[in-house]
Amino acid sequence: MARSDKLYSVAAIFDKPDGIIHAAEKVKDAGYKQFDVNTSYPIHGMDNAMGLSSSKVGYVTLAAGLFGGTFILLFMWWTLAESYPLFIGGKPFFSLPAFFPITFETSILFGAVATFIALITVFFKLPYNNHPLHDTNYMKRVSVDKYGIYILAEDEKFDKDEIIELFKSLGASSIELIYLPKEEKYGMLQPKFMLFLLVVIVGISGATYFTLNKLMYMTPFNWMEYQDKSNPQESSLFFADKRSMRTPVEGTVARGFIPYPYKGIAYPKEVLSNPTLPSKEILKLGKEKYLTFCSPCHGDYGEGTSRLNGQFPTGPTQHSDKVRNYKDGMLYHIITNGQNSMPAYDKQISRKERWAIVDYIRVLQRAKNAKKSDLVEIKKESSTNGQ
Amino acid sequence: MPEEIDTKNKKTENKREPNYWKGFKEIYNDPEFSKKVNEDLTESKPKDANGMSRRKFLAFVGASAALAGAACTDYRDKGEIIPYNKMPEEISLGKPNFYASTCTLCPNSCGILIRTREGRPIKVDGNPEHPVSKGKICVKGQASILDLYDPDRLKGPLRKSKTGIFLKTPWLAANKTFITALDNADKQIAVITHKINSVTTKKLLGEFTKKYPNTKIYSYELFDNTIRNNAWKKSYGTDFYPIIKWDKAKVIVALQSDFLGTEGNRVENARLFAEGRDVDKVKNFNRLYSVEADMSLTGSNADYRLKLKPELQYNFVMSLLNEINRKTNIKIPINVSKFSLKSFAKKYSLDAKKVEFLVNDLIENSGKSIVYAGRSLPEKTHIAVNLLNEILGNTKLYNRKTSNYSVAGLSTYGDFYKLITDMKNGGVSVVIHFDSNPVYHLPDNMGYKKALKKVETVATLTESANESSEVSNFVFATNNQLESWGDAKTRTGFYSLQQPVIAPLYNTRQKEAVILQWVKGLNSKFKENLYHKYLMDNWRATIYPTLNSEIEFKRFWYGILNDGVVLKNEKIKSFGKFKNSSLSGLTTSPVKPNGFTVVIKESYALGDGRQANNGWLQELPNSLAQITWDNYAAISKKTAKKLQVQNNDNIKVDTGSGEKVYPVFIQPGAADNTVTIDSGYGRTKVGRVGEGAGFRISGLMSGKPTFSPWIYTNVKVARAEGTYTVVTDQEHHVFEKKPTENIFKKRGILFEGTVAEYEKDHKFLKNEREEERIVTPAIYPRHPELYKDVKWGMAIDLNKCLACGDCVIACNSENNVPIVGKDQIGRGRRMQWIRIDRYYSVSYDEPIISTQPMLCQQCDDAPCENVCPVAATTHSEDGLNQMIYNRCVGTRYCANNCPYKVRRFNFYNYRDRFKDGFQEEQLFDLIYNPEVTVRSNGVMEKCTFCIQRIMEEKAEAIREKRKIIGENVKVACQVACPTSAIKFGDINAKKSKFVKYRNHELGYYVLEEVNTKPNVTYIAKLRNTHTEES
Amino acid sequence: MSVDYSKDMVLFDRNPELVELEELISKPIDTRPSKKYFIALAITSTMLLIGVIAAGITFYYGIGTWGNNQTIAWGFGITNFVFWVGIAHAGTLISAILFLLRQRWRNAIARFAEAMTIFAVMCAGIFPIIHLGRPWLAGYLFPYPNSMNIWPNFFSPLDWDVFAVSTYMTVSILFWYLGLIPDFATLRDKTTSKIKKIVYSFFSLGWRHSNRHWRDYEKAYMIFAGLATPLVLSVHTVVSFDFAAAIVPGWHSTIFPPYFVAGAIFSGFAMVVTVLIVVRKIFDMENIITVNHLDKMNKIILLTGSMVGYAYLMEVFISWYSGVPTEQYVAINRAFGDYAWAYWIMVSCNTLFPQFFWSRKIRRSIPAMFVIVILVNVGMWFERYVIIVSSLQRDFLPSSWTYFTPSIIDLGILLGSFGLFFTMILMFTRTLPVVSMSEIKAVVEGAQPSHHGGAN
Repeated sequence: MARSDKLYSVAAIFDKPDGIIHAAEKVKDAGYKQFDVNTSYPIHGMDNAMGLSSSKVGYVTLAAGLFGGTFILLFMWWTLAESYPLFIGGKPFFSLPAFFPITFETSILFGAVATFIALITVFFKLPYNNHPLHDTNYMKRVSVDKYGIYILAEDEKFDKDEIIELFKSLGASSIELIYLPKEEKYGMLQPKFMLFLLVVIVGISGATYFTLNKLMYMTPFNWMEYQDKSNPQESSLFFADKRSMRTPVEGTVARGFIPYPYKGIAYPKEVLSNPTLPSKEILKLGKEKYLTFCSPCHGDYGEGTSRLNGQFPTGPTQHSDKVRNYKDGMLYHIITNGQNSMPAYDKQISRKERWAIVDYIRVLQRAKNAKKSDLVEIKKESSTNGQ
Repeated sequence: MPEEIDTKNKKTENKREPNYWKGFKEIYNDPEFSKKVNEDLTESKPKDANGMSRRKFLAFVGASAALAGAACTDYRDKGEIIPYNKMPEEISLGKPNFYASTCTLCPNSCGILIRTREGRPIKVDGNPEHPVSKGKICVKGQASILDLYDPDRLKGPLRKSKTGIFLKTPWLAANKTFITALDNADKQIAVITHKINSVTTKKLLGEFTKKYPNTKIYSYELFDNTIRNNAWKKSYGTDFYPIIKWDKAKVIVALQSDFLGTEGNRVENARLFAEGRDVDKVKNFNRLYSVEADMSLTGSNADYRLKLKPELQYNFVMSLLNEINRKTNIKIPINVSKFSLKSFAKKYSLDAKKVEFLVNDLIENSGKSIVYAGRSLPEKTHIAVNLLNEILGNTKLYNRKTSNYSVAGLSTYGDFYKLITDMKNGGVSVVIHFDSNPVYHLPDNMGYKKALKKVETVATLTESANESSEVSNFVFATNNQLESWGDAKTRTGFYSLQQPVIAPLYNTRQKEAVILQWVKGLNSKFKENLYHKYLMDNWRATIYPTLNSEIEFKRFWYGILNDGVVLKNEKIKSFGKFKNSSLSGLTTSPVKPNGFTVVIKESYALGDGRQANNGWLQELPNSLAQITWDNYAAISKKTAKKLQVQNNDNIKVDTGSGEKVYPVFIQPGAADNTVTIDSGYGRTKVGRVGEGAGFRISGLMSGKPTFSPWIYTNVKVARAEGTYTVVTDQEHHVFEKKPTENIFKKRGILFEGTVAEYEKDHKFLKNEREEERIVTPAIYPRHPELYKDVKWGMAIDLNKCLACGDCVIACNSENNVPIVGKDQIGRGRRMQWIRIDRYYSVSYDEPIISTQPMLCQQCDDAPCENVCPVAATTHSEDGLNQMIYNRCVGTRYCANNCPYKVRRFNFYNYRDRFKDGFQEEQLFDLIYNPEVTVRSNGVMEKCTFCIQRIMEEKAEAIREKRKIIGENVKVACQVACPTSAIKFGDINAKKSKFVKYRNHELGYYVLEEVNTKPNVTYIAKLRNTHTEES
Repeated sequence: MSVDYSKDMVLFDRNPELVELEELISKPIDTRPSKKYFIALAITSTMLLIGVIAAGITFYYGIGTWGNNQTIAWGFGITNFVFWVGIAHAGTLISAILFLLRQRWRNAIARFAEAMTIFAVMCAGIFPIIHLGRPWLAGYLFPYPNSMNIWPNFFSPLDWDVFAVSTYMTVSILFWYLGLIPDFATLRDKTTSKIKKIVYSFFSLGWRHSNRHWRDYEKAYMIFAGLATPLVLSVHTVVSFDFAAAIVPGWHSTIFPPYFVAGAIFSGFAMVVTVLIVVRKIFDMENIITVNHLDKMNKIILLTGSMVGYAYLMEVFISWYSGVPTEQYVAINRAFGDYAWAYWIMVSCNTLFPQFFWSRKIRRSIPAMFVIVILVNVGMWFERYVIIVSSLQRDFLPSSWTYFTPSIIDLGILLGSFGLFFTMILMFTRTLPVVSMSEIKAVVEGAQPSHHGGAN
């Protein structure tokens, strides 16, 4: 690399481990602080020779390990007992014994990874690929079989010639002056780089699209998202009309759906008789359905005042004598079959519900012109309820 | 000492090219770029360069983000939603409808109830209103849904060209040419049909005959009760053998008869029989003796089983008569002195003790016992049996309220011989196969097929191509029974109606409609409701008046369609007295057996082979041999040794009417020197599923049988070349000696006792279990949040369970279980969620058979749940061991850890693999239950107590604002079980009927020692053997 | 930390110069490999290719292509998994446990053993994934945050496996790489090729052999060894839990953890020896990887082999003593049932043949030991096979008893896994120093100061 003429350090090479140890001690004793020894393998006793304290890296491991353990244990508790509790094999949500293995493994994982990262970045300050020492003969030699020591220019006691003398006296096999490399700058804007960037972007997007929308839906991938069965209203290519829902064959009778005999007849001679008793439940059901289906036109109390005031033909009142004299069956018939502009409701409202509505209409009619006796009845009711 | 100081390194450095990685510069070593950079370096503020780059870079980042975003969005086609244009009243989306109808697959004509979803039939069950089948239906009926959706069905009428290939042709053309053929027919027109149970069809054929006077109707069944009925006619002078009140019988002696499996109306038989096996009325437990050559379902359920060659049955009955006469001097109207039971038993190595018991039981329970001869036995045996029942006064057990009713009788082999000779010398101009397949069914040596060549016009009305359609010039594609109208009468006292549940899927017409069209001629245009109208008119005209109901016809008609049946009070004429004259035909000296005997048995699953293309039936393991996809020659171990054959070796069987080769299967408990072969296999012209499954039996049968059409004595059997692998689902251990001697008892899989033991001490099993059981304490306390409301459980009464396998088919149909095919079964990869386990014990020759339906036990502490790494199987608050298919990654660890081995893994995408995508045909989408996931390749599955039905009830309960009621949920297997051996309900509903079974003294859990706390209780089987036995 | 290096000079038949040593070690990397090498590579990569194809078919068609059935749901897949994990353990044992035990002779083989560990774990790691019914959902086994809030089931031994094996993989790689950094630096400073220079610089992270770094480096190395030791024991313990925690008779046994760990070390060492014998021949490193090394390893094989044998006996005893009929029957069935052949292969290969190592001659004779270690490898594979298959085929309900026959695909994948392993090994020997330079240098005669570190 291009070197500036700014001196970085003075370095010396020794041939024997004894020599380097000796040198290191001497340099230390001479009071230099900013110096280091480079040997291609750890030399024994060098730490003492250089007067280094013992390493601190162990604390990182301990902390990380403990953290990892506690974290995963809490995590498992949270997932299985808080976030999404599941009954598994009749075990309690949090059953410690089963969690030991994972806790143990994770502590080790955290410990190891943290140690490694800390070691490289914090303790070694690596990666550092343009360190002044690199690509010097000094480095090349110590990295193979020689033993090197160097003193940095920053050291306050630093004096080039003095140090050279010192090294000579210590019996260095060679001495080398190492200069700092030149400052280098280069902008990141560069057509090829940009092109490269673009290619990467397009490539990644394309790949993502292909994977998410095509690949993932080829065999063998199967997400059971679309299954070989016909859900309601799904299409089926088997039938010409692409309808998987079929209409029952003309003239067949499904259990409990004996066709309404007076379908299509406006005023049948005879009508069905009401199978329901106006019990509380039935009336409740009837009210619910009446308010849902009938009230918009016939009004909440059947007095024929439409909520849709005029945008739609207003349904007649339920309180006319005509309607009051209708048989239950007739009302049922009208709901089932429709009348004038009123459509047939047999598809929306189940049979039971239709009868319930009829019963409820009866209640409304009775309420509109109640007799004395009714009031008495009602009083009794309420008083008995009161007790 | 070092020489001069080396300070040259500076210069050398400058000389040297930098050769370590420093940035993109080196990566693309581009001179003009480095030049540019150097410029940058010289004037040391590279603002525009960097400024530019930053902006540009941001732009790029933005672009990439946008692109990536676009890429991640999902552009796939999600299919379309197609609602009804005009919603039918009865249909509400997601809710099933039920249609009552009649099954027409066999002469029994049971009532069926078809479950439909959005107008598509998805399941077939029995019709509860039906007086005979009472809400139950056999496997064939259940599986018929698969026939409807069979892709191999005929898509429309076909006409054979000069060159002999079939061409599609429109109905009109086909009818035109055929009607002209009919009109020009100067000789006989033969209509060949199966048994006709429909009064309307009979009327229709009548009209056809009226139009074409030279028409003759022939009808046949591969298996029928002719012999029995003839014998009865001889003995009593009335038409039919009566219906038996099995439920009232104390002692049942079945002679070469599989009345629980295949004979008569097995659904009814099974139900009534099981009523005599009610653990709560242990006093009137019946005792079943089975004397048979093959190993039948009935035999496996017998309390005492005796092996006897069929031809010896006569001697046996006569010896019984003799013995009875000796013990109680009841007079026997025939000389039986030559038959000594003792020497007989000795000679044919029958267990003297058992025989002794049998005789005594018959005598003690005279009037409450029944001796029942198999339909395949010859007439004289039947007469002898009638006599035996008569003298024992067992006629009390004949049902006098109702009797069989035959709309139209069957033709005899004789009639067919006549027909064939006519055909041979050109006396027949048209043959119409009316949904029948005589080419396959009739004995080969009658030469029907050859004779057919002499007939110029042959028409076949059939649902799917078969052997007969192969050799006809016209093939009229007909509707499936679920697309057809009809009626049936099999017994006095009621009619049943058949109605379609879906419009014809293909361009097919119902077979009656086709005939009707011919009758009416072409100037009347065909309408879909043609036969519907005809049927209604017939009823209005003929049947409605006889029922004298007040309601006007239309509403009455709707009423019966709703119920499926209509009752009618008919008197049955008395049976008449026993005629001793009938005994004249009986030989008074014992017959000698010689050589081998071949027994041709109706296959439990396939019947006479009509449904050979039905994967469910093909894959339903024979409940004893556990063999699927094939029939085989079942022989005893001794016989195998004699012939020097192993399983899967071929043997030659020669009945005199033809030599055929079958693979051997060594059946424990089979009688020596007999070969039993199932019918219904070996279809040569059939769909993709059925082809290559098994071997024909018609080759063995003879049109002029010497002994009986289904039993051939004095047969030559020898080792043949080669082998053929029949696949079985269960290894054939007989747990006779250490270390596996009745291993299943030691392991607490099966507990059994005798009625006597039970009566002595109701708690005997409990105590036994207590002392055997090692109580391992639970590590964790019961989870506080579990089972607070309902808890689902099942109880299986092994006294009632006959191991028929009906539940298996019901489950397949309900839960979209795929068909896997023969090779996969062979590799031990069956998919059925419920299986019938079968254990032989004691010895190979006289095995004791124990069976047990095995399904997911829904354990409280399920081992499978603990080991699933992705929590794809977990427990629900109401006690279900749930399976979350979409979460399953397929480690199969749960299957390993399941002690009951009830988990089923999709080793392939079977829908794709079986017969290359047979089950992926569009049509198959329609059959699947929409409420159940269709599982993919690599997913584990198992029984979930029909959770979809539980959910139905939950929804119902919520809608009606009430609590869930356990009894309301009926799981598929429970509904299907003909003997109601399977009970299902809420364990926490303390007062319910189910809980009574749950905590029955005879109840136990399988593998209690493993302590998984299962929720399926098994009621131990009580064998009704004699006290001195146990 | 202070370790005495001076003890292990014996390991060298003669006293090489550091440079020479270095040349020797980096020779395979710098020189063009011989024909032998390429032949070997061709063979192994073919095996690998077969494996890849087989795995591809499995992936496409499903597990049905294997021999497994409803009863025996685990077959070759898990057998191979356990087998390879076992192999892996030797590496860590040599590099970590022997390091802590101050077994200096390990230096010569540590790097190699670690490499093997990593490759073996790679082989092992493949199986749990390809044996899944839906491998593309393997991610479900990891606890990743998702919209459904569904998490894996931490009760499941298989999920423990996920954590154990992935941790093991990570730690092994870090440990290995840590050891490689100085060597990368050395290579970087030696090489003349530009590309190599870039690559080595990249991986050496700019290491400078600085003693201030060596101090922390050695400490960290020590810590890693300390972490790896319990880890390696735990990993195979967890693997054994896959069986021990299940209720299947023949699996549900408390001696599995020690039994498996012993087995792992046993098979691992056998594999190391197998490979070393070949490698030291090909790259003539007899001086570095000496017969002494092999001798020492054979001793360990002998020891662990005997432990495994003891475990076999104990299993039978326990099943008898338990009084559980199912357990007893499985034991009987193993020895005399359908899989007796497999069982006796396992017993003879794992307990009988290693006993020959009692004699020093056999311990030190290359051919003899080669045969034995191969047999041990075979035996150990069959051990896992027997445990898995023969237990499942005769479990609780006799109705579901059945037999397992492997399919061609099964065999293909097994072959492929060996292919992968040896291909990796061969690549490794070409690209990285098979012996740790820095470590080996440290134990050469005169590599350490004579008057320091208490040489006397």
